[in-house]
Amino acid sequence: MSRLREIQQAFSECVMEGKPHRLATEIAPAESALRSVAFYRRAIRFNYTQVLKITYPVLFQVVGPRYFDTLARGYLKTYPSTSGDLFPYGCLLPAFLGDLQVAPWLVQLARLEWACHEAYQAADSPPLLPEHLQAIASVGPARVTVHLHAAARLLRFPFPVHRVWLALQPDASADEAVNLPLPEEETGVVVTRGEGKIQVLPLNQSDYLVLEAMSHGVDLATVEQMVAEVQPGFDFSGFVAEVLKQSLITGFSIKDFL
Amino acid sequence: MSLEFPTITSTPIPALAGIGLRSHHFREILAENPSVAWMETHPENYFGDGGAPLHILEQIRSRYPLSFHGVGLSLGSTDPIEHAHLHKLKALIDRFEPAFVSEHLSWSSVGGRFLNDLLPLPYTPESLDHLCSRIAAVQEVLRRPLLIENITRYLTWRDSPIPEGEFMAEVARKTGCGILLDINNVYVNAINFHLDPLEFLKVIPAHAVWEIHLAGFDRFGRRLIDTHGQAVHLEVWNLYEWAINHLGPRPTLIEWDTNLPALHVLVEQAAHADAILEGCHVTAS
Repeated sequence: MSRLREIQQAFSECVMEGKPHRLATEIAPAESALRSVAFYRRAIRFNYTQVLKITYPVLFQVVGPRYFDTLARGYLKTYPSTSGDLFPYGCLLPAFLGDLQVAPWLVQLARLEWACHEAYQAADSPPLLPEHLQAIASVGPARVTVHLHAAARLLRFPFPVHRVWLALQPDASADEAVNLPLPEEETGVVVTRGEGKIQVLPLNQSDYLVLEAMSHGVDLATVEQMVAEVQPGFDFSGFVAEVLKQSLITGFSIKDFL
Repeated sequence: MSLEFPTITSTPIPALAGIGLRSHHFREILAENPSVAWMETHPENYFGDGGAPLHILEQIRSRYPLSFHGVGLSLGSTDPIEHAHLHKLKALIDRFEPAFVSEHLSWSSVGGRFLNDLLPLPYTPESLDHLCSRIAAVQEVLRRPLLIENITRYLTWRDSPIPEGEFMAEVARKTGCGILLDINNVYVNAINFHLDPLEFLKVIPAHAVWEIHLAGFDRFGRRLIDTHGQAVHLEVWNLYEWAINHLGPRPTLIEWDTNLPALHVLVEQAAHADAILEGCHVTAS
């Protein structure tokens, strides 16, 4: 092993695992080694905590700075960063919280925030144009599958965590206030991005079923039939028109029958 | 080891002051078109596939010359270069055509674990060879020269026989890279380790300095910390003026990353740097 690598490994272990003795002979003067390592240790922990705070702003507000710092330290120890790009750092926080056995709705809130984080920088999709819609209308729905926006994230929760998310947005109104702890209540949402802003839209069971089937490439005729079995009289065309308005559908494919 | 690169087609950056582009100021910049000569940003903030950050950067790029200042390549690391990161950077460079692409004389990862901080290298012949080969490899992929910035350090490696200024000069000579001279970092290191900042500046070859950074520090006990959270200090302005008269005018960036002020404060700092650049009297050395 090269001398440079030895030093880098020793430094990393000192800072991340609290083994300052590994560097005592490498830093001059030796009596400053502990202070130097402590400085970098604090700075590095602080940076990662800031990254998590930006990624999980609602969770931060809910649990408060002290508990969030503790979570951030534990997370860093369990899941150190593996990239020079900090965007993916924090992707395993929901799993980490699950392993810690914190209140289950906090785990679900973290899942929702991670989906928002991903949606923010997901690929752009040009909106569907009227001529595209005419092309769909000219073939039967059994031949059409639709593409959801790359930012769209469908999530199902055992708690209505989206209410917490909505209540703690900077522009939330007072009537979005929510009481904690959350009741157990099966909830579906779609995370989407409209004009650069993240939106979390609650879905009833039928809406969720339709979007989920669409996201799996099920053709429109089958989707309509599936939802009619769950909710007879469901306004399928109205729902499709609504998701088109939200730019949730951004493309389609027409299947060739053999 | 140095390479010949194709001509870069991006809008050149004038020897005037620019400001660091931070999302906190996006809206204000787009609305007010502040009077600064150029802007610099961290490319890692735009590594996503789409969304608002890229749209905003496109608008800003259409109005100002741009520079990329990377923080994630971990050039001094003994781990393999993170190719996914490098290729994202390349794609972003191809799209936005920045005039400069800079990184740091530092390392931040080992054994697959990143510390995502700018960590000091020991200045040894081994480090020099290693860093130069990494810079050359990156420059070959990017098809352009990098600028390498001097960092602040908060420790001194026992075995580090090459003075920092000579180390940087040698990196530039061997790889053909430019130097991004951070005057605040020179000052902070000089105070923390009882060094003469002019000794550092005098050994840096003027022709290799393509850009200068200015920022504010904070004082914690007897130590200065490069926080980028304050206005540039008087001592740093004085050192900058000396450097400009010694090197000649250079594109100069006002960096401010924490405790961000209103946009006009950054613009005023840039105007102050411009006044120094305009009053520059280069001395023969």
